[in-house]
Parts: sequence; C-alpha cells; structure tokens
Amino acid sequence: MILDYLKKELEKEVDDFILIKQDLEMSNLKFVNNKIVKTGTEDSSQIGVFAVKDNKIISTDLKESDKKSAKELVKNISNFLKFTKQSGNYFGIAEGPFKYKKVPGLFDKKIKDIDEVDIVESGINAALENAKRASGTFMSATGKSRIITSTKVDAEEESSSLYFSIRSLISKESSNHKTLSSTMLKDFDVEKASRLSGEFAKLACCPKQGKSGKFDLVLAPLASSSIFGSLGDAASMFSVEAGLSFLTGKLNKKLGNFNMTDDGRLPNGIGSSSFDSEGVPTQRTEVIKDGILKTYLHNTSTAKKYKVKTTSNAGLIAPDSTNTILEGKTGNPFDIKKGIYITNTWYTRFQNYATGDFSTIPRDGVFMIENGELTQPIKNIRISENILNMLKNIQLFGKDKEQITSWDSSSPFISSDVLVKNINITRPTV
Amino acid sequence: MHKELADFSIKYLQKKGADYAEARLESRSSNSFMLKDGNLDASSFDNSAGLGIRFSINNSLGFMAANQLSKDHIKKQLDKAIRLTKRSSKLAEKVEFSQEQIQKKSYKVKQIKDVREISPEEKIKILTDLDKSINPQHGYYSLSDKLVKKYYINTEGSRIYSEIPTINFFYLITLIESNKSIQRMHQYGTSTGYEAIKKWELEKNIGEEIATLRTNMIKGIKVPKGKVDVICAPEVTGIATHESCGHPYEADRIFGRESAQAGESFVTQDMLGHKIGNENVTVIDDPTLKGKYGFYLYDDEGVKARKKVLMKNGIINEFLHNRDTASQLGVKSNGSARANHFSVEPIVRMSNTYIEKGDLKEEELIKDIKKGVYIKNFMEWNIDDKRYQQKYVGNEAYLIEKGELTKPVRSPILEITTPAFWSAIDGVADNLKFFAATCGKGEPMQGIPVTTGGPSIRLRGIKLR
Repeated sequence: MILDYLKKELEKEVDDFILIKQDLEMSNLKFVNNKIVKTGTEDSSQIGVFAVKDNKIISTDLKESDKKSAKELVKNISNFLKFTKQSGNYFGIAEGPFKYKKVPGLFDKKIKDIDEVDIVESGINAALENAKRASGTFMSATGKSRIITSTKVDAEEESSSLYFSIRSLISKESSNHKTLSSTMLKDFDVEKASRLSGEFAKLACCPKQGKSGKFDLVLAPLASSSIFGSLGDAASMFSVEAGLSFLTGKLNKKLGNFNMTDDGRLPNGIGSSSFDSEGVPTQRTEVIKDGILKTYLHNTSTAKKYKVKTTSNAGLIAPDSTNTILEGKTGNPFDIKKGIYITNTWYTRFQNYATGDFSTIPRDGVFMIENGELTQPIKNIRISENILNMLKNIQLFGKDKEQITSWDSSSPFISSDVLVKNINITRPTV
Repeated sequence: MHKELADFSIKYLQKKGADYAEARLESRSSNSFMLKDGNLDASSFDNSAGLGIRFSINNSLGFMAANQLSKDHIKKQLDKAIRLTKRSSKLAEKVEFSQEQIQKKSYKVKQIKDVREISPEEKIKILTDLDKSINPQHGYYSLSDKLVKKYYINTEGSRIYSEIPTINFFYLITLIESNKSIQRMHQYGTSTGYEAIKKWELEKNIGEEIATLRTNMIKGIKVPKGKVDVICAPEVTGIATHESCGHPYEADRIFGRESAQAGESFVTQDMLGHKIGNENVTVIDDPTLKGKYGFYLYDDEGVKARKKVLMKNGIINEFLHNRDTASQLGVKSNGSARANHFSVEPIVRMSNTYIEKGDLKEEELIKDIKKGVYIKNFMEWNIDDKRYQQKYVGNEAYLIEKGELTKPVRSPILEITTPAFWSAIDGVADNLKFFAATCGKGEPMQGIPVTTGGPSIRLRGIKLR
C-alpha cells in the first residue's frame, strides 16, 4: 500500500526512482565459554529509496508506513534536490518489466519455527567432545522484499538465512573456528561443524613459533574467504573507479589458473536473489575464466558508461558482488612435501588497494604440512604478500566446497581448500 | 521522540517478571555525500528512530530491537524476546551487573555551525573545493554528519537524555607515476558542528600530503638493515595504542566474551599491576574530552563516563569495564559500555585513547638518534586476535641520520610483539595529537567512533623490514 502511494508521489517529482521495501525478522544467540550470554530479537521494516532528477542522485529511506511520512519524505527529497549537484556518472536504471525465474532454495519457512537454544546446545556439546570451551553466535533471519521502479519493475520475494559461528578452544593459543551459512535448514549441520572445530582445536594444541620465509600454503575456505573474498569487491566497477581495486587495468589479462564467478542465482546462496537492486533478473557471471579477467561487475549505469551490458549486480548506489565462487583444477591440495595449512586468518589489510599489497594474520589452528600430513601446530606468523601474486600462484583446489560468511568477511564466498605456492610468511622481529 | 514507549517497555518487562530492564530510544538524522574523481556519485539523507531494550529474566540476558514504534508492536516483540530468553535459561550464564549510582541527567553538545542548519549545498562545496584545490590523480571522498538524540531509562531509576552530533570526513588518494603507485586513506571526525571543518585545514593538510607522498613514492629508499631507532609520529602512536593497549585491556575480551568475534586478550585479570612498558608511558581512555570523535558523558548502561588510566608509567593499571565485567571483577563500571545503534547491545568499547604527552620536544627525540627511521603515518596495519603481535606499515617515512631527517624511506614495516613495543619506548614527546577512527567489534559488527592519539615516541633498537 505505502509503496504504491510513494510511487505515485515520486512520479510527480523525479525522473527515475527505485523503491525497495524490506521486512526482516531476526533472532540471535551469543554463547561464551559454553553458556548463552545473550539472546536477541529484531524486527525491522524500511523502504530504501533511490531517486534521480536531472542527473542528481539522492538515496534515503522510509521507516514509517503512513502516508503522511511518505509525503514528508518526498518533500524532503525535492528540497534536497534543489541543493545537490549533477553526477557525471549517472546513465539511467534498467527498463522493465522483466520476467523472473525463481532461484531454488532462497526461502525455508521451517526457519521460523526452529529452536535456537537446542541448536546452540548441540553445537556446544559436539565441540566439547574435544575442546575445553566453545564460544560463538547463532543467527536466523526471514524476510520479504519488494521492488518497484519508475521503469515498470514490480517484483517481490521471500528469503531466509542461517548463520552459526563456533570457536572451540583448548587454551588461548589452541583453538579452531568454523562458520556455517545457509538459506535452508537442511544441510545446516551444526553438530558436524562444531565437532570438527573441537577436533581441530585439540590438534592445534601447543603451537611453536612459526618460521618466516617462502612456503606453499593450503588455505581452508574460511582462511581463503578472508583473502580471496576481496575478489568480489575488487571486481565491482565502483571499486575500480574509486582506486579500491587490484583488478584495475587487468581486463583480458591472465591472472593465474583459476575461475572466479559471481553467481546471483546460486541455489542456497546467501547472496542470491531473483533480481538485483534495479530489478534486473540476476545471472551467473564468469568474471575470471581460465585465469583471464573477462568483465567487471556492473549495474545499468556503469554498463552504459563503459558500453557493456549490465551483469545484474546493482546495489542501490554501486555494483555489488552476490556470491563469489573461486574454483579451478581439483585434486588433493595436501599432497605436497612441505607447507603450511591455515584454517583461518583475519585482519586482512591493504597497503595499496590498487597494487594489492596486503597482509593478514593466520589464527585458530595453523599446521606444518610434511609429506602430505599435518604435523607441528605453529603460531605468530603473518602472510605478507601481494594478492595478484597469490592469485598467480594458485595451483589446486580440494573437492568439497563450503559457503562462507564470517565476522571478518561478510560477503558470501564459496570455495574449497586451495593450494597456493611460494607465499611470503613473516613474523615479529622482536 | 516516543519516550512513553521506552517507559512503557521497561514497566511491561517488570510486569512480565524481568529482574532488570533498560531501554534506549534513539532518533537520528543524517546526511552523507560521496565524491569520486570530481563527480558527486551520491547524496543521502536519513531520519530514523528505534528502540533497543535489554533485560534480564530468569537470570538470562535478553535484547529486543524494533523500528516500528507503536505500543502494540513493541509489546508483541517484547513477548517474543521474553519467550526466547526464557527458553535459553537452561543454558544461560547467570547475569549480574555491578551496583551503580542512579543518574538523572540531560545534556546536549553545543554546536556553533549546527549539522542541521548547514545546507547540503555547503556540505557538497567542502568536497568539491577540496578536490579542485588538491587535484589528485584519483580522489575518493565522503562527508557525513549525524545528530543522535538518545533517551536512556532503566528500572533502577536512571534516566538520561543526550544529543550528540558527529561529522566524519574520509578520503582515499591514489598517486601513480612510472609504474609506481602510492595510496593514502585517512579520516577526520568530531562530535561538534561544522565549525570543525575549518580547523581541520583539509586543503592544506591533504595538499601537503600529496606532495610528500609523491616524493616518497619516487625517491623513497629501502629501509636500513639491522637494528635502528624508530620514531612513531602521533598517527602511528595512536593506532598502536588503540590496538595493543586499548583492545587487550577491554575486560570482555579478557573474560572471553568476544572470543568468536573480535578475539580475546593476552592480558589476564591477574596482570593488573604487572609491568608491561617503559616507565615513561601512561595511556589514557577518556570519553569526556569535548569535541573528540569518541565523546560521551554517560555510557549506554547509564553509567557516568570518566577518564581511565589504562597503563600508568608502564604498569597495567585499569581495564575497560561495563557493568557485567565490573561485577565479575568486583569493581564498579568505568562507563565503557557503548552501542553504535539502538538495534544492538552495548558492549565494552574504547572512546578517546591516547598516550599522555611527555616533556621532550620531537626534535630532541630525533637529535639523539644516530641511525633511525621516522614514520609519520601508515596505511596497512593488523594485530592478532590476542593483541600480541602487530604490524604497521609506514606510508610517509624518513631516514634519520645523525639526528636529522635526511631521505624519504619507502614503506617501512614495524612487525613487533606487544610487550616488545611498550618496553622499547624510551622517549615521549610533547606533541600530543588526536585522530578519528572507526573501531569494529561485536556480532553483528558495531563500528563505533573513537579517537586514537598520542605524541611522537621513540623506540630503541628495532629491526624494521
């Protein structure tokens, strides 16, 4: 109702607009040292508004659902437009209407009836089979979104998501972290992930100071997401223009031997939906194929600017990645003489986003690999590298892919264990 | 504001058997502008309100947030939150809060140039004038302001109203020349009105930065080999203090409450009184500093904020507490509970954290160095989840030879353990400066305004890379 009213009011005032109404219901539990320390619920409803007049772009939102507030918002938009400036980067939004094909596994109504406490308890108990303590978070959400644009788009869909994060500890230095992300309850195996986390925490016991130098690394998906997850952001045309991308100037160039896909239609994908934020039907885009950068991620405006087609990655302001999939030649990444297995890493920070110089800190179970076997756990090391160099040195992927979102890396990333050769490891000098 | 809804909520919770309840009602109005290579890519404004309610029932802690502010809706959401919290009690940690004084206060930050009264046109002009003046090869800037009105009430009788504005300016400059490239990303922030912009001298400061960074990129030499003395200028001192003194002294980390998120701490509760740094060093966290980005007078648990001495002459002196961690240690909260939004719970946070200034001039610190490196600012940094080993990579840096800055040095890397860092400081200058930052913690992630700061400090005998 309110959307239709807002649409009518905006039609009188602006050239182009997008309205996205999102209703969300969330619950979360935080557990620390085997006990629940907080439960939380959140209920929110809002309409995201993108409006353009004479190439002046405004974004805002409306939280109330009454006509008076909607009218006031449109008045404020008109006033704001008087003062703001034209953008030379605006080239329109997508012309609808479109036909949409449903993405499988976006919504699971069973999520509304889950027992969060039982789920958390089963996770803690499974971790404690090997660990001394377990901490983490469980979150569930269900939502509904509807999009209406000035260009004849009108679409809606329901979605759901589950997230479980567990860190099992034997001591402060011996730990392991696993996360699970899914849109559906099936395959959301909290016990299995927690048990594995506990087992790895035990394996990680009593680490020794790691050495610096060049090493072959096997990165678990959680570690890989913290490094290669940045590919999704780097591929956005917004990042390329803003100086935030190491992929700038790399179109049609060979970056290594792997494939990177942005898949907005991935079944059970946290970043999946039937349409992007302009209402364009989502698609699967091969961003890097056989190591060659084929395209950046575009919305309608950036696509027109660069004379290409939109990749249906519109966010309300700039192109956004959906689900970033990293894959390539498969085999056994652990089949090496000597290397390091990194289960998790965090605090990935760039010295220069454009060149890709960065470092990140492995944590939660780092092991030497000798003749294909995990041996001595190590600690206090850092990957200090260039991300283009790391991409170039990707050799092999394991078979079992995981969908990762995590505290340090919220964009959905899908990959398996990956072997990366000859990577620079540093450690504190004092 | 719908203060009556906050009042109703805590009464309703008491009626439903809550031992304790508190409500934070927030109303926010904000504006933001983004300029990329001279183009105004987006202008945004937002007016919103919402209610965050925390309560304890059957000894379990519950939280509820909603942005639909009607009595019926809030009641329905509270019932849902109570059900979940009661269900969790079989596995819940018994919640206990420290006993604190009841506070009844109202305060507003006085603004000379009110964030609500400066037109969007003037705000945009700040960005476009800056871009024209400094004319970088690539410049990406954002300017945002916000006024948060907050009404806090709890069942113990505290009732606090505040109005705090904040302004944040962020920039990323990219310089490229002869296959070389250098970037500078930095932010300015204040909890005052737009009068702060003039004081920031953006055109002068960023213009000078561009000139020196270009020289650094082209003429910068490699870091000297072997052990050298290092001067961390205020910006580097500030980030190191925040990361390796502020964070590890957060009591919730020490007790493991952030274990699966922002991590724990190498510091344990029995390390109070333990010597960790040079006696020249004292570290403060003070939310009451007017105008600083991390300013507040009462925290989000209704506790009066105060200056805390985290490290006193090299000795661990005090942790940052909320009412939960204070209760666990048998002390009073020192007013460090903050939430970045009504929709999230308050957790232990820093505010304005800095090393106290010393007696020496920066020139005196440099004068005593035969061979060393002066690190003015940084880009890349990180620290492990226990806050034990950290890295800062200099952006603008210089070689020190016989007490003088001589040549630019390219990307010196300070990779060091926390005890080694604090023990190596043998001199503290008097040039105390503050820098705005956004600190991340919690799940869902809460980015909160803070200030990092300090004077120039000298570290002896450090191997850089």
